[in-house]
Amino acid sequence: MASLGSVTAALRVTEVLEAIASRCVGPEGGQVLCTKPTGEVLLSRDGGRLLEALHVEHPLARMIVSCVSSHLKKTGDGAKTFIIFLCHLLRGLHAIREKDSFTSENTQTHQRHWKNCCQWKCISQALLTFQTQILDCIVDQFLSRHYLSVFSSSAKGWTVCRRSVESLLEAYFCGRVGRNNCRFISQLMCDYVFKCMDHESVVEGLELVDNCFLELNVGVTGLPVSDSRIVDGLVLHRDFSVYCPADGDIKMVMVTEVLQPPFSSSKSEFVLDSEAQFQASQCWIVERTKAVMKHLQSQNIKLLLSSVKQPDLVSYCARLHSISVVECLSSEEVSLVQRITGLLPCVLPQVPSQGEISDTTLVKFCKPLILRSKRYVHLGLVSTCAFIPHCVVLCAPVLGLVQQHESAFRGAFKMLQQLFTDLDLNYIIQTNAQRDSSPLACNNSRECSRPPEIGKYQDVIVKSENKLENTQTHSKAYSNVVASDTELKTRVTWSAHKETPLDTSQTNVILKCLSPEKNWVISDCELLVGSNPTGNPTAEDTRTEMSYDNVQVTSHPGKGCTLPVMYKSLEACTSLSYYCSSTLPAGCVLPVGGNFEILLHYYLVNYAKQCQQSAEATVSMLIANALLGIPKTLYKPKNGKDSFPQIYMRSLHALQTCQPMVSGQSGLEPVAGKYQLIASVIQCLAKILTVDLVINIKRQPQKIGDQDSEDELEH
Amino acid sequence: MSRFEAKKPSLCKTEPLTSEKVRFTLSVLKGILASCYGPSGRLKQLHNGLGGCVCTTSQSSALLRNLSVTHPVLKVLTASVQNHVSCFSDCGLFTAILCCNLIENIQKIGLTPTKVIKLNKYLLGLCTSYLKSEACSCRIPVDFSSTHIFLGLVRSILTSKPACMLTRKEADHISALILKAFLLTIPESAEDRVILGKSIIVPLKGQRVIDSAVLPGLLIEISEVQLRLLPTQKSSALKVALFCVSLSGDFSNAGEGTVVVPYQVSLENAVLEQLLNLGRQLVGDQVDLVLCQKVIHPSLKQFLSEHHIIAIDRVGVTLMEPLSKVTGATPIGSLNTIASTTYGSVKDLSSARFGSKHFFHLIPNEATVCSLLLCSRNDTAWEELKLTCQTAMHVLQLTIKEPWVLLGGGCTETHLAAYIRHKVHNEAEDVVREDGYSQAELRIATEAFCSALESVASSLEHDGGDILIDMKYGHFWSGQSDSASVVNWQDMLSRCGCGLYNSQEGLSWSFLRSTYHPFAPQKCLSQAAVGTASNLTVDCFTAKLSGLQVAIETANLILDLSYVIEDKN
Repeated sequence: MASLGSVTAALRVTEVLEAIASRCVGPEGGQVLCTKPTGEVLLSRDGGRLLEALHVEHPLARMIVSCVSSHLKKTGDGAKTFIIFLCHLLRGLHAIREKDSFTSENTQTHQRHWKNCCQWKCISQALLTFQTQILDCIVDQFLSRHYLSVFSSSAKGWTVCRRSVESLLEAYFCGRVGRNNCRFISQLMCDYVFKCMDHESVVEGLELVDNCFLELNVGVTGLPVSDSRIVDGLVLHRDFSVYCPADGDIKMVMVTEVLQPPFSSSKSEFVLDSEAQFQASQCWIVERTKAVMKHLQSQNIKLLLSSVKQPDLVSYCARLHSISVVECLSSEEVSLVQRITGLLPCVLPQVPSQGEISDTTLVKFCKPLILRSKRYVHLGLVSTCAFIPHCVVLCAPVLGLVQQHESAFRGAFKMLQQLFTDLDLNYIIQTNAQRDSSPLACNNSRECSRPPEIGKYQDVIVKSENKLENTQTHSKAYSNVVASDTELKTRVTWSAHKETPLDTSQTNVILKCLSPEKNWVISDCELLVGSNPTGNPTAEDTRTEMSYDNVQVTSHPGKGCTLPVMYKSLEACTSLSYYCSSTLPAGCVLPVGGNFEILLHYYLVNYAKQCQQSAEATVSMLIANALLGIPKTLYKPKNGKDSFPQIYMRSLHALQTCQPMVSGQSGLEPVAGKYQLIASVIQCLAKILTVDLVINIKRQPQKIGDQDSEDELEH
Repeated sequence: MSRFEAKKPSLCKTEPLTSEKVRFTLSVLKGILASCYGPSGRLKQLHNGLGGCVCTTSQSSALLRNLSVTHPVLKVLTASVQNHVSCFSDCGLFTAILCCNLIENIQKIGLTPTKVIKLNKYLLGLCTSYLKSEACSCRIPVDFSSTHIFLGLVRSILTSKPACMLTRKEADHISALILKAFLLTIPESAEDRVILGKSIIVPLKGQRVIDSAVLPGLLIEISEVQLRLLPTQKSSALKVALFCVSLSGDFSNAGEGTVVVPYQVSLENAVLEQLLNLGRQLVGDQVDLVLCQKVIHPSLKQFLSEHHIIAIDRVGVTLMEPLSKVTGATPIGSLNTIASTTYGSVKDLSSARFGSKHFFHLIPNEATVCSLLLCSRNDTAWEELKLTCQTAMHVLQLTIKEPWVLLGGGCTETHLAAYIRHKVHNEAEDVVREDGYSQAELRIATEAFCSALESVASSLEHDGGDILIDMKYGHFWSGQSDSASVVNWQDMLSRCGCGLYNSQEGLSWSFLRSTYHPFAPQKCLSQAAVGTASNLTVDCFTAKLSGLQVAIETANLILDLSYVIEDKN
């Protein structure tokens, strides 16, 4: 049996998924209760998990689900938005087809289908071209001027701003955990991040937490969520086998094998000649074990971690020598302890009794932790890496909720990890003469209004493109720029959203990131006053706000080196084809609530207007219109001033008059994630469009390749 | 080769709470739970119809464990109650009924989930901060110098479990025993950290409840034959060796290699020789009592008894920790040499007979372990009684940690409802300004919340009596009204639910179900009243507070559901 793989079919499938996703998306979305075949109950608002739980049958739907999950693997966020955006794209395409179908009415249905498919193939190509070339360009050139950053400057250098991270996490958890707990959980997560992360290498620390979060959290059921907390040190998910209370700093060793010498070792034969020999060897084993323990005690070791179960004799000897023992550590726990403390497992039976044991480490405390009448081992490890050990105790009335919070935490770590790394953008600008009279009014006006500065900027930017290697060139770049600041100060009328300190801070972050010594410092500092230009200030007081911004700007002389974009767009005006490679710098964020979508929509529409090739323009318009579907869904439950048309009109007005955009919500979202989402959806759509026929077969599709290639190698 | 089977698509349901079926099952569950609540609650008999044992109970833990609910929404509810019970032992029914009531009430008012959740959270915040505040007048600080409140607490728990089938006298006896057992677990010399001991419940079925007893130390059940082996009494303390390794002469840890044993070498003899050597050492060290977690070899046993050493084996792993605590001995894990520091001692050892069972009674010098010999005539009542005793012990421990109790008998619920009503009535404007909801919405949600609390209290009345609230303290009163006409409440009622106030204080009453004008319940609990009231009904503070939070969080969680996806594989 075969069915036509057309836009209509895909649309029908996606609309069903969209109906589900749109109810759970955003701060107004609800929880989903999934039951497993085993009877387990799982709570989730995670779009990826939701789609998996549905076990969709339709092949196109399955393809979409797999696209979503591969997107999630990369970014950890945006599954529901993925579906909504895809659905709107398909709707747009469907509408285009409806229009076309009037022209070729008399052709046979099947023929028409094939013909359509050829068209779809073309559109699919156009989409891919758009994604690889135009999208990057727009994101880099136009959108970048609206970015905010989670970094702020302080005396110590560039620091991660706690307030920004808070609002970032709050927006993230709004879509991930129940409405009841999102604020509490995001606060907990924020505390956790700031408690755990070292001042220097945030990314490294986040990576460790992301990998080992299973070991770093303890789930407790039956308590209210508000009892969740962060505990200092590491909590192992088991009890002591032997616990001897000890005070002060405690020396610890880790072993991976049984400490009692085996009666006979593997692959050897032990011939017992007499009963006395048997007794003697038993005695020797006991004496040997005692000697090892005594040796440990003499080295002042008070705690023994073991990845295997130790025999009774070892526990007994440990107790006699007042050494606490924790057994049966999982390999993950062993490697976590290793990563945190740098402690290597020590090989004890071979160690001569006199020798010093080098593989030891100190722990600050070692005590049992009782959570809901279950005992855990609580260790105050001393960290030697970028991660300061802390554990989260996640409490909830039911297990499903604990699991939901745990997976939301993991997703958030992934999101943060992505936020703190740069994203490369590559695109080719094929410019033509018309480009000089670009329809982007504000862009144009800016270029005209400030010719004297451009030269200076070029100077700076050339340097920054050469990848600043040391701070000296860095400061040189600054010194070049200071002059232009004074000029700028006088021009208050100038458009606000380009020259906000935020832009500059972000550029500086790029520079920082390029330079080898990344010194981001985390502190609890407040957000810069002027660093939220698109946020709170309303349209009325923009003017005053603007002047304030500029004053603020001059206070730190990083300002002048605006984005490389500026330089590039100028370059584009003169040369015909220009290959750009740029980065979406780490820490870029935008306010939530469809801000990114509306901005991208606006610039895409503008782009389409000036575009000559019809295919490119069509695709741009298609994507631009579909983008609006996301804020439309988000604002559906709102009415009055907060309804979508109002917000949209206000934003458009603000953009046209070059005023900062007003956002009703305080949350932030990372730009990189959004950008990748758009790219993933376009790729998925392109994939869907290339399928023309879905054929149902009875067998598993046979795997091709592996065996043959091996045969070939043998010949 | 594995067989692949296509996964069946899942079933996805929108807005589960709007479905009639779910509402119905929820109300059935609520009916079952509410009818069990309180001292006059009705019992439920659970059986599988295939000849399995019958469980008669009114406790949430037993009930929910055996009840199989199928709908996912109900599963969440019951799981959360069960988890609460396994944390705190008490207040399971309270949590479940409150949660059901709240869901039911909120569905009637038709606010959007987002708003309701926010409002519920706000109201819960009011409750918890009031209950934790000094001004709270439904909370009594525990007076450690008298057993008054502790006894009240234990008795409230016992009387609220009618399936234990206790008479008044028996209830008094058992509550005294429980309290005694608990007090025995408290160490006498308190250091910076107090570690409570353990009381072990020893079953003795077929005896009268009144025969139950508490004994310090441990009881180890033995056969009658072993009893005869008991040697003559010794005047001084007995030296004890406690083994955690098997003394049966087995040779289990041969390692991974091959062991070759020639024909003439007998490993059995070698091991036995080793065991006897051990025995000789024990004799040399003048040990009087050998306890072993696992099995002792008969020859060693024989050897030991020849030397007047009592040997008890197969003690089991659960008794090891209490044994080590009672005797002060370190469990020995070696067959070779025994360090003298590992020995412990007991004051005395005696044999005892209770009913048809024989026990060794280890009497400690000073230890925090005791045995509660619990008797009951039939199995189901014994099970219920055992659960109740465990609950009471746990609640006492919780009360030591947070030394407050809440007024029981429905008074806390009605008082809290009255407080919230009054608070919202007076301060609605301030609240509304902060958050994005209107005053009317706040009022509606408050009404739903408070009436949910009040219906928990009114679930205590199962005999069709009138349920009232007084307008001074906001306490719960119930009484039989024989005529429909206006009655003289003062004469008809005697004491409020918790027993703190009597009706002769010139109070005025209102029906709980009717709407009454919000009033400020009197703050500041008078200590004099607490002192004079003889039979106070009180509840565990920690358990009830957590139950309240869990109930509302669970209700919020269920109200937040927009889909149920059932995996049909």
